[in-house]
Amino acid sequence: MTRPARHRRTLISAVSLAALVAIWEAALRVGWLPSNLVPLPSQIPGVLWAEVLDGIWLDVVLSSLSHYSIGLGIGSVLGIAVGMTAALLPRFDAAHSWLARLLRPIPPLAWIPFAIIWFGVTETAAAFIISIGVFWINYFTSYSAVRAIDDGYYEVARAFGQGGFSARLAKISLPAAAPGILGGLRAGLGQGWMTVVAAELFGIPGIGQRMMEASGLLATDVVVVYMLTIAALYALFDFLFMRIQRRVLRWQQ
Amino acid sequence: MAAMNDASAPVLTARGVRLGFADDVVLDDIDLEVAPREFVAMVGASGVGKSTLLRAFAGLLAPQRGDVHLSTAEASASRAWSMVFQAPRLFPWRRVRANVELGLEGLGLSRDERRARAMEPLSLVGLEELAERWPRTLSGGQQQRVGIARALAVRPRVLFMDEPFSALDALTRQRLQSELTELRQRSDAAIVFVTHDIEEAVLLADRVVVLAKPDKGAPATVRDIVTIDLPLARRREQSGFREHVQRLEQHIGVAATPEETTS
Repeated sequence: MTRPARHRRTLISAVSLAALVAIWEAALRVGWLPSNLVPLPSQIPGVLWAEVLDGIWLDVVLSSLSHYSIGLGIGSVLGIAVGMTAALLPRFDAAHSWLARLLRPIPPLAWIPFAIIWFGVTETAAAFIISIGVFWINYFTSYSAVRAIDDGYYEVARAFGQGGFSARLAKISLPAAAPGILGGLRAGLGQGWMTVVAAELFGIPGIGQRMMEASGLLATDVVVVYMLTIAALYALFDFLFMRIQRRVLRWQQ
Repeated sequence: MAAMNDASAPVLTARGVRLGFADDVVLDDIDLEVAPREFVAMVGASGVGKSTLLRAFAGLLAPQRGDVHLSTAEASASRAWSMVFQAPRLFPWRRVRANVELGLEGLGLSRDERRARAMEPLSLVGLEELAERWPRTLSGGQQQRVGIARALAVRPRVLFMDEPFSALDALTRQRLQSELTELRQRSDAAIVFVTHDIEEAVLLADRVVVLAKPDKGAPATVRDIVTIDLPLARRREQSGFREHVQRLEQHIGVAATPEETTS
């Protein structure tokens, strides 16, 4: 895309969003929308500011971030490790493939009963639920990325004295599968955010719990504040991750 | 094997080698000796098993019968053999220099020593300027030069080359052929070179091994070994060049199967 075209695109996107917010505001003020069901957009900054001043915003964001990063870390590391091992060791692949097929379709939130039985209504339970969704994404992307590696590279490694398992893993499997693995990590980053709120809805302190509280009081403006918070945090992480990804994969560009 | 490392002993000895997959024998009764610094080309029709044999010589494939002896690495921080493949197969995630360093890893060299050792063959193939580039930014000919540098970096006693120029355009191929002739003078490696191009074999080699099937359906074997006794300089213009090519073409049976005269 040329530069002017890109500028025009940005402009159109910004104007459309602003127009939507304006129509929303107008619809409430004119009375087309019931004000107890949807908040006024113009109220949102003030509500956010109040939440920040009370210290609630930072508290719940930090709690959610802690569940998120623990769940994301554990799910990603295990997913990549198990996925790569399955792709590299045919026996392990055969041994666990039915179990994987059985567990894979179970959504992370279906694990909530067990999470509560095993860990109680604790942060560990939230991290556990988040890690499940992240695990499967990373498992499958790592598995297919390693399976797709050209056998020719392994022959080169053998011809140059790098045929041992650990040499092949470090010098071929990991770097060659890196584009796929990083793609999985990025997808897991988004998936993790989606489960974080759901996992907190049953009472674990965090953004989700705060949203449930607010909805009980019909404080829709507070709910929207946290919806926007989630969107903004996700955008920030995704942006940072993309920069890292671009750096790691600079050999591709 | 230890006794084979004196200066004149063959660097590669194959005796009675049989290769194939289960009952399907592709090559049989292969005997060959390669002397130090010798250049042996192996030619034959496509599908005759040239590349398979090369891999068996290198120890990448186990023969069904017979044995292959490769002399061990001579100098410290070197390898007994290395290989140049048909496709360069550079690692795209490593810069050119790091690709050349691949075989030097695990030989007990420091990072700086590896770096210096990688630059030597890179300058031999004229690419020291491109050492910090990513492989995808190189042309096909440059990539294959890096493949050659990677193989030379380990100072092998035997350099296996598996149709290294067949994927290149005619002009680049000719240039690399003459570069290889020059490289030979500066390397101590013996070269075993697989090609389907008879002129290329006669142009480069000291001896040309012809692999062919004695009968239809029978496994291929060594039909002939032709010594090319022409000087390397301007070899193509020598009077004996065409006679060698013609003789080899007859041996391979090019006349009988014209679709295989790809050269």
